[in-house]
Amino acid sequence: MQKRVFLAIIIVLLLLVGLLPVFSMLVNSLGLDSHFSFVAYEGVLTSRHQWVLMGHSMALSSIVTVFAVAVGVPLGILFGKTDFPFRSFFMFLFAIPLLIPPYITAVSWFDLLGREGLLAPFMGPQLTAAAGRFLFGLPGSALVLFSTFLSIPMILTMVFLKAVNPRLEEAGLLASGWRGVLKGITIPLILPGILLSAILVFLLSFGEFGVPNFLRYDVFPVESFTQFSAFYNFKAATAAAVPLAALTLAILAGEVWFLRKKGSQLRPSPDAATAFPIPLGKYRRLMFSSATVLGLVLVVLPFSVLVIQSAGIKNYVEAFNRAGDSIVRSILYAASGAVLLTFIGFFTGYLIQTKAVKFWRTIDFITIFLFALPGTVIGIGLVSLWNRPWANLIYGTSAIIILGYLARYTALTSRICATRLSQIPPSMEEAAQVAGAGWFRRMILIVAPLARRSIFAAFIVGYIFSLRDTGITMLVYPAGHDTLPVRIFTLMANGSSRLIAALCIIMIAITIVPAAILWAISRPVAGKEMT
Amino acid sequence: MKIIELNSVSKTYNSGSARALDNVSLKIGRGERVVILGPSGCGKTTILRLVAGFIAPDSGSISVGGKLVAKNGRVIVPPEKRHLGMVFQDLALWPHLTVKGNIEFGLKARGIAKAERVIRIRDILDLVGMADYSRRKPAELSGGQQQRVALARALVLEPGVLLMDEPLSSLDLELNVRLRKEILRLQEKFSFTLLYVTHDRNEAFDIATRIVIMDKGSVIDEKRNFAPDR
Repeated sequence: MQKRVFLAIIIVLLLLVGLLPVFSMLVNSLGLDSHFSFVAYEGVLTSRHQWVLMGHSMALSSIVTVFAVAVGVPLGILFGKTDFPFRSFFMFLFAIPLLIPPYITAVSWFDLLGREGLLAPFMGPQLTAAAGRFLFGLPGSALVLFSTFLSIPMILTMVFLKAVNPRLEEAGLLASGWRGVLKGITIPLILPGILLSAILVFLLSFGEFGVPNFLRYDVFPVESFTQFSAFYNFKAATAAAVPLAALTLAILAGEVWFLRKKGSQLRPSPDAATAFPIPLGKYRRLMFSSATVLGLVLVVLPFSVLVIQSAGIKNYVEAFNRAGDSIVRSILYAASGAVLLTFIGFFTGYLIQTKAVKFWRTIDFITIFLFALPGTVIGIGLVSLWNRPWANLIYGTSAIIILGYLARYTALTSRICATRLSQIPPSMEEAAQVAGAGWFRRMILIVAPLARRSIFAAFIVGYIFSLRDTGITMLVYPAGHDTLPVRIFTLMANGSSRLIAALCIIMIAITIVPAAILWAISRPVAGKEMT
Repeated sequence: MKIIELNSVSKTYNSGSARALDNVSLKIGRGERVVILGPSGCGKTTILRLVAGFIAPDSGSISVGGKLVAKNGRVIVPPEKRHLGMVFQDLALWPHLTVKGNIEFGLKARGIAKAERVIRIRDILDLVGMADYSRRKPAELSGGQQQRVALARALVLEPGVLLMDEPLSSLDLELNVRLRKEILRLQEKFSFTLLYVTHDRNEAFDIATRIVIMDKGSVIDEKRNFAPDR
């Protein structure tokens, strides 16, 4: 009884926080003076400009997806399957751009290649102009989003590789070398993971508005943001957001259908620990050099530019003077969001893993759908639902920001917890049940302690993603409640590049420190819990 | 009165595609040692899980101690209220708790006062020969020692019925034989009813007073076993 009631509360909470705003947005976009109407959509669907924007979005996200998968999957195989040296360090290095707001990477490339960038004096006016043309537009946006989302296929490839039973590869090795085994056995087996990563990269880059906005490449998500923030045409903003939601829903539904057909599960193989790595042999040095160069170009170089640009105590003093309150708020909101995300994610992961309700697949799908949905869409949904006089306690306070975090990032914490929970034998909880323990006692004294590392990992991931959030926060933050990513974004219009660089470094620092802790603890996790 | 009764119990998995039990009826008297013997997939573990209350029968009814606990797809009395003991195939010792913590868990859950808990833990550890290991974690024990802790954890609650799901299957033959004798000794001392599942004929004949042979979800034979090896 305890279990049913509590999990029902968690489900209702998820629906209220996540789905209801999207539903409210849909209803809102269809109502004109209290009558059913498609007027708001006419402007969106009949305008040629909108279709051009949609084309831009498609082109950008397709390019990013192709490159991220083409590079990320080999990197995942290299780090997850071979004797490549310093694998976990490189994995962390390539994950850094994902952990921070993507527009910060765009700022760093601008500080490197822009008119007043670090390389400008060495490149001469013509080359600088060419670099500017490259950066401001499709190629620059694609480069930044490629480096941001590269780690998604890399990490998912590594996770899915753990699900491959090494005995299957060993059977293949008797007949063929590693190249044949990878091509004929391993890669076909992890294909659902590669597909999932491609879909996530496509949807996340499709919904990204900060980078294209900064690099002046007009894309569809910018439209709903502009309609809302510049013209305050709420109906047009919602109408522009609905196609994004529909596209996300359609693509994810296709993915679910495909994966169910394949019967694949994201569950580590119990024998994964016994797998031996592929020896790189004479290619080891070449692979190491290639990965090092890639890491230097995509991560170290742009972020070093920020360090150089922001050098000097004066810049940091000014940064703290201009945005000290936002820094504190960011940490506070992200920590509060992370606590709630961990709590809800743990129980959502539990109900998905134990199939505690008949419609557990639907719950899982809803969380993934909300994660893949552009932040601006969730933001507009939240405004649509909560911007009412009676809801001022939520809409007028930081609670609206936290609700946004919960709506979008529960998928991450629930997946982290579900993965770990899948490795705990059901007999652990059953033994406690037979011993006379009620559900809460079993959760608190048996299940949660057994999943404690994953709960901590979920907290850190929840913190990082709440901290880096820009799309939702930008739309919903009440006056005087802006976070650091939002403050940086607004200061970019008139702040000096040194101040922006200093703020970006602070943003990176408050993100990377907990991420480094996660990296440190995840190594024993990989050894103990994930196998 | 029978302490366990299964009346025309059927159970399917995977939304009806895999039939685990087909119209099984079984009555077990107080103090009996019943071993369910059969090959993998014959439904013997399903019977234990139904009696424990982890799953509900699709049709039929189950009574424990004269009380109806499950009927026609519904669990009426949940596992935590059936007052049974169970030793799992993988033992399911909680790795984050010490030996003492593992044994004490159920006593705390049932609201036993601390003074009594201390006495019962000491007594049961003495009985299974693990008194010197109370502060160890399960990972620091040998297979046989873990087995004893699992038994102690189940018996400390003084259950009327002990369910055992192939508890000795992972042990070598010598240890397996030694622990069979230990189980018999403990059963004699506590006089609990034993429902024991195995696919090993020797184990069955060593332990049982009655052997129930199963195949493909049905009981195909029942035998009294008059001379269990002590």
